[in-house]
Amino acid sequence: MEARPALSIQRSGASQLGSLGVSGGLSSSLSIPSTHLEGTYQKLPDIQQVPSERELTTRPQAHATRVPTNNGVVGHIFSSSSGFSSDLHYSSVLPNEKHSRNSPFISQSLADTASLPLSQSSSSLLPQPTIPSCCNKENSGSWCTDPDFLDFPVSTPVQSGQVENIQRSEDFSKQNDWQEWADQLITCDDALTSNWNELLVDNVTNLEPKMACQVAKPCTTMPAQNQQLPSPSVESLRVVNPSSSANNAPAKPRMRWTPELHEAFVEAVNQLGGSERATPKGVLKLMKVDGLTIYHVKSHLQKYRTARYRPESSEGSSEKKLTSMEEISSLDLKTGMGITEALRLQMEVQKRLHEQLEIQRNLQLRIEEQGRYLQMMFEKQKSGLDKLKVSSSNPENPAATSDATKEAPTKSELESSQRDHLDSGTGTVNNAKSMLERSSREMGGEDMATEAGDLEKTKARVSETSPEQAAKRSRIEE
Amino acid sequence: MKFGKRLKQQIEESLPAWRDKFLSYKELKKLVRQISSAESCVEYGKADAEAEFVHLLNNEIDKFNVFFMEEEEDFIIRHKELQQRIKRVIETWGPNGTKPSEAEYKDEMAKIRKDIVNFHGEMVLLVNYSNINYTGLAKILKKYDKRTGGLLRLPFIQKVLQQPFFITDLVSKLVKECENIIDEVFPVEQEDEEEIVKEQREAITVAGKGIFRNTVAALLSMQEIRRGSSTYGHFSLPPMDLPDSDLIHSFQLNSPIPIV
Repeated sequence: MEARPALSIQRSGASQLGSLGVSGGLSSSLSIPSTHLEGTYQKLPDIQQVPSERELTTRPQAHATRVPTNNGVVGHIFSSSSGFSSDLHYSSVLPNEKHSRNSPFISQSLADTASLPLSQSSSSLLPQPTIPSCCNKENSGSWCTDPDFLDFPVSTPVQSGQVENIQRSEDFSKQNDWQEWADQLITCDDALTSNWNELLVDNVTNLEPKMACQVAKPCTTMPAQNQQLPSPSVESLRVVNPSSSANNAPAKPRMRWTPELHEAFVEAVNQLGGSERATPKGVLKLMKVDGLTIYHVKSHLQKYRTARYRPESSEGSSEKKLTSMEEISSLDLKTGMGITEALRLQMEVQKRLHEQLEIQRNLQLRIEEQGRYLQMMFEKQKSGLDKLKVSSSNPENPAATSDATKEAPTKSELESSQRDHLDSGTGTVNNAKSMLERSSREMGGEDMATEAGDLEKTKARVSETSPEQAAKRSRIEE
Repeated sequence: MKFGKRLKQQIEESLPAWRDKFLSYKELKKLVRQISSAESCVEYGKADAEAEFVHLLNNEIDKFNVFFMEEEEDFIIRHKELQQRIKRVIETWGPNGTKPSEAEYKDEMAKIRKDIVNFHGEMVLLVNYSNINYTGLAKILKKYDKRTGGLLRLPFIQKVLQQPFFITDLVSKLVKECENIIDEVFPVEQEDEEEIVKEQREAITVAGKGIFRNTVAALLSMQEIRRGSSTYGHFSLPPMDLPDSDLIHSFQLNSPIPIV
């Protein structure tokens, strides 16, 4: 089934758009799903849910006619994904299975329900891209020469941009890259399962496992990616390279360097006679780090050489250097401060910024933590409610049921009302808190209420000194 | 549009190479507006639009990750090099070195000091980059949920929290190490110097696009962004407690866009 690699290509095309920083990139990748979807549905192309300014009219038609043979597949794809797209927060066991099977790394990642909704929502994306991608694989010749696609400037929407990128990727990639890519696809094929659901999720969660990979500290054992220039082949390889990357030698997933890894690198380089004499291959061999590829070493070596032999420019562009010289001398002139003093001052400001950033980050983490906790409580409540509903046929607990239904609205209602409260911020923060407290008491979890209290206290501490804030708080709390 | 404006200012004040690596907040906001006004009652349309939105966000996240990790790698290398350089200078021209020379030592140390401070600044700016992009994402997600009644924010933000670009621990560690090195490399501040510094807190014009200017801009922006929002709630950040706020405000930035 070539659908899977094809999917990857498409996705890579899209992500390449982003990384290339194409100004229209955003807009072009935007309408991809809708049009492809339409092609799948065989609906009229002008059913455009999203921005009508994007010209997509001819696109779906073209696709529909182009891929008569794939319709069956596509139709199938869509029907299975419709289940996904209709309920974005449907958490299934399936992705988890896929996770644990295919990616040892993901076991370290937080492949929890939090990440699932995302994969679900993105998975609705997947079926659509198959259309052109399939085409790409099958009629690579005709595809390349199709004037229609090539004519579309990148800034105009959808498939044109994407297809163009696929074209470009073919143009840009060198012989060996293309070979590697083809090899990749072939090896990926072996790992394919017939389970389309897994397929959908897996491709989307490529992003997640990779990200999660970076989180787990032993990055050295992770498949890593060389993020040189936004070379199309690299980007596509990244996506094509799912968790099975360990098997693929030419894999180029993203790599996160650490000081320890760098130490090992420097050791190896020194053993080989210095940065000028060391070769990537030699360093790679000496380092003996799992998952490290020659591409990583190559790019790192390049950076290392630059840093050593041009220390002036390694501190940033020379232009930047000059201006900081300028600014220091201007400081100097203005106030008669010594350069050292100016530097000290600069240092103080920088320290201050860093301090504030850390505080802010911690706050943000706590806020989200609390949000997660809330969510969990809602879910618990909902399942509790469901259980009650089930037993509601039991005449013994009519009172309990009616109580439950009265006091515990459904999760979505509660959440949306919660959100409303948050958004309006009109003194209902307290209401929300009391609602939380009520429900948490019901569920027997008083931690949430105290958690809410804690966070408020932290916030209060941070903003103690601001009178503005005090005024606002009194307004909120009235 | 307050955040959007602040973000734009920050981007303009930031290092030239970084300018296109920030969140495309404005575009995303436009999209949210379009989605909410598209009146798409068809359910698949809404899910579809959300998928697109998510797709874009993922692209942005990719962009951040790539850039962040690239810079981080550079910092790791430069950090080590700086340490080596200091060692070399001390061992060569220091009092116990192979060719002790006070003039050379002073000279080299001065250069090193400047480099360290700028290096420190750059790293802090990267942390700031990470944070402001995160803040932007959180805001745009909140907007999306509000406008479209979706429930995208909570789960999506959890995913963002795990992204490499948000996990700034390593860079922060390097920053702290830099601060330690600085203490060793800078001469001990004497009493009179302190007084001079206090006396001369006049308006200082920071010309050029140096790192100092960027940090000042970043700090002030941050303060502004957190000045209290109209949608204050559980998920909002409280206003910032910034000591020496006056001092920092006194660094008048020589730019057409005053940070008010």
